[in-house]
Amino acid sequence: MIKEDIKKALQNANLSGALTRFSEAYAVSRKKAYEGLDFEAIREKIVAIKSYVAEHLDELIEQFINAAKQNGAKVFFTRNADEVRNYIIELAKKNNVKSIVKSKSMATEEIHLNKYLKEQGIEVNETDLGEWIIQLAGQRPSHMVLPAIHLTRYDVSEIFTKKVEPVEPDISQMVKFARKQLRRKFLSADMGITGANIAIAETGTVVIFTNEGNARLTMALPKIHVAVVGVEKLVPKFEDIIPIAQALPRSATAQLITSYISFITKPYTHIDGSQKEFHIILFDNNRSQIAKDPKFKQTLQCIRCASCLNVCPVFRLIGGHVFGHVYTGGIGTILTAWTEGLKASKDIQSLCIQCGNCLRVCPGKINIPELILEIRKKLAKEEGLSLATKTIYSVVNNRKLFHSILRAASKLQKPFENKGYIRHLPFFLSELTQERSLPAIADVPFRDRIKKIKQPKTDKKAVFFAGCLIDFAYPEIGEALVKILNTAGIEVVFPQEQTCCGAPARYSGVMDVAANNAKQNIEALLSTDADFIVSACPTCTVALKKHFIEDLNEQKSSPSIIDSAIRLSKKVFDASEIVNRLIKEGKIKLEKLPEKTFTYHDPCHLIRTLNISKEPRESLEIAGLKLVEMFESDVCCGMGGSYSLKFPEISVRMLKRKLENIQKTETKLVCTDCPGCVMQIRGGIDKEGLDIEVRHSLQIIAERLQEAKK
Amino acid sequence: MFEKFKEKATAIHSEVYFFSNKAEALDFIKNFIKQNTSNKTAKEVVWHDSPFLDGVNKDKLQEELPQIEFNIELNSAASAKIGINQVDYGIAETGSLVEISSDISKRLCSTLPEIHIAILPMKQILPDMGSVLREIDIRQIPYMTIISGPSRTADIERVLTIGVHGPERVIILCVDNF
Repeated sequence: MIKEDIKKALQNANLSGALTRFSEAYAVSRKKAYEGLDFEAIREKIVAIKSYVAEHLDELIEQFINAAKQNGAKVFFTRNADEVRNYIIELAKKNNVKSIVKSKSMATEEIHLNKYLKEQGIEVNETDLGEWIIQLAGQRPSHMVLPAIHLTRYDVSEIFTKKVEPVEPDISQMVKFARKQLRRKFLSADMGITGANIAIAETGTVVIFTNEGNARLTMALPKIHVAVVGVEKLVPKFEDIIPIAQALPRSATAQLITSYISFITKPYTHIDGSQKEFHIILFDNNRSQIAKDPKFKQTLQCIRCASCLNVCPVFRLIGGHVFGHVYTGGIGTILTAWTEGLKASKDIQSLCIQCGNCLRVCPGKINIPELILEIRKKLAKEEGLSLATKTIYSVVNNRKLFHSILRAASKLQKPFENKGYIRHLPFFLSELTQERSLPAIADVPFRDRIKKIKQPKTDKKAVFFAGCLIDFAYPEIGEALVKILNTAGIEVVFPQEQTCCGAPARYSGVMDVAANNAKQNIEALLSTDADFIVSACPTCTVALKKHFIEDLNEQKSSPSIIDSAIRLSKKVFDASEIVNRLIKEGKIKLEKLPEKTFTYHDPCHLIRTLNISKEPRESLEIAGLKLVEMFESDVCCGMGGSYSLKFPEISVRMLKRKLENIQKTETKLVCTDCPGCVMQIRGGIDKEGLDIEVRHSLQIIAERLQEAKK
Repeated sequence: MFEKFKEKATAIHSEVYFFSNKAEALDFIKNFIKQNTSNKTAKEVVWHDSPFLDGVNKDKLQEELPQIEFNIELNSAASAKIGINQVDYGIAETGSLVEISSDISKRLCSTLPEIHIAILPMKQILPDMGSVLREIDIRQIPYMTIISGPSRTADIERVLTIGVHGPERVIILCVDNF
């Protein structure tokens, strides 16, 4: 089903067009909105406030309830979504409420409130323009902040014409139309329902951020105001709103501030002289369980800005109707798992490509990719793995078997191979090579080639971790590294027992295999004494540096192997960093000719996990190359390891965007530092027949070495 | 600080004017009403009483401009084109207004009409949101809004459109010496 939904979404040019345009513009305007402010400092403050809330949830709930009651508000606290609906229905019945106006509230979406109110014969009107359109169309929001982003003005005109009155597809006319139509609803409504962005525990105040002015009318005009507030909206103190007020509009829509920030503390005398009723429904719906989970409690640091959707390279292609339920995108996946149950997140969690772009912008600093991986692991544990997955990983788990299969494949692929590429595969594999060629498996893997390389014998030694792609598909990248290190007087050692870094298993949630891969590699890599350990694949580097320790801890491995993992981690470097250092120390001298321009693609793990982006550019520039930056150089190329096999249709769309951005630079050379990115981008360029070279930076550096003999 | 306030407020589509005293501001308001409403249509202006009107003869003002209504209830506010009130603070950093209302009629002047005229005493402009929060005791304030420009939406095709459910023009009169 998800495959069909993806296909439909990808074919919907309006959807992906609107989302991609927005996402591209957003990245630029978000940056501008934060100018002059220290985003890291702001988000540290938010993390401090919100993590305190997660730790002291019960206490703050009680404090808020007491303060709000003292202010004269009626407060109802419940753990259960059913009771929220019943409370509102009872209240409506008691006051003979016939019609309700609502301003945008994800909390009420979460409990499907409108449906239940309608069943009671109560008229409910959403008043946020986007929500109203969605309500009239009978759809659900495709984005948490921009609910109708998937619809064009023509769609909207059609919906209005069909459900309300005819109106031209002119945006400003349609906005005026909405004002006129909904104004009547506001003036006649008996109850107004809002959500909240913040609830201040010490003062019992509810804070709401809006732009259209509908929430102000929703609160002011009907005699009863009900605010439905998830407990994660709590902050301890009044001044805690400042960092949230700074981040929320900037991260949500790249605005410096929303048109309105409303603070409601006490009920006041209504316009007709009667006493206004102000109800606050504080509801939990499993949030207190999230707060108790050591890994997932950071989820409560979310301020619902949806910036994780805005920067997600997958979300912008398929939108929230496919990538999400009530809550959409990255954070939506996690919230779905907790509010609707793990099973409900099964399809959507698989859509995350783990590029890490969301973590970079999240004002709550929530490690969304890591938590999605946690969900993946839980699912693998609870539901078991498919036979195919099990078979694959039982092979990867056995290095000798795995490597002999790769060697056999290098012979078997001959009928499909042409000059190092596989351009067509038969039968069910055909989709894999539809839009991109795959590299042929090398005749002689790196592990055999290294034995024949004559290296200078020196005291300085480096252990090289090749990883599967360099070992079996691109051994020439490994040879380039050996040449560079040898020139700098470093001998390269290659322990033959090394195996897959475990990334494929890890990112599929098969943790026992990942941990086993880790163990084998730790033993192999530490078997030789060396000054450092180097990898030329950032995904492998991250595995060696970070994941081995985590995985072994998680699998409750022996303290001695965990100690070894920590020792290993300290010695591991990415080649891009080492080579840059050697160049700057003058240990490697480079020829500056021929002059050439290039553009650089940032591998996800290199720029976002290892925080390396300047170094490889600098090395290449020292080697006489002239950099022409491409647009979105740090957006994922769509490879994502096994993701490109699981969702080739999404992967290829991301690749096409990358190729367009590369072509716009008019350079004939793309450099990057990840064999996976090389494989993806080179495959796309080959398939499209473009005259552009894709090289691992090490290959360029190796070609420009001033050899010692000169 | 006024210059910064003006720059930031203008950037978010508010209109900002400076007057060195109340009389000048009152003249501006009268002229604005004359130009934008008709004295034949009843009650196109709702005006919430405030210290700005201290010493102003309201009866005389209404004689001159019968479209002004000082007695605000739901119908008058809903049918008015212009709402006038005095706001409590300005925030220079964002060009925002702070409207504190225990009296709902004050709030209706800035929510229902198409044009909101906000009278802001110059001395009430503070540097940032933090300084406003320190000045007030939120527990004593039933309802407060930080207003930053006119109401706006980008819900259809991400096209910014000014004026949705709230005002489409916010005119800020910064008045000195009062």
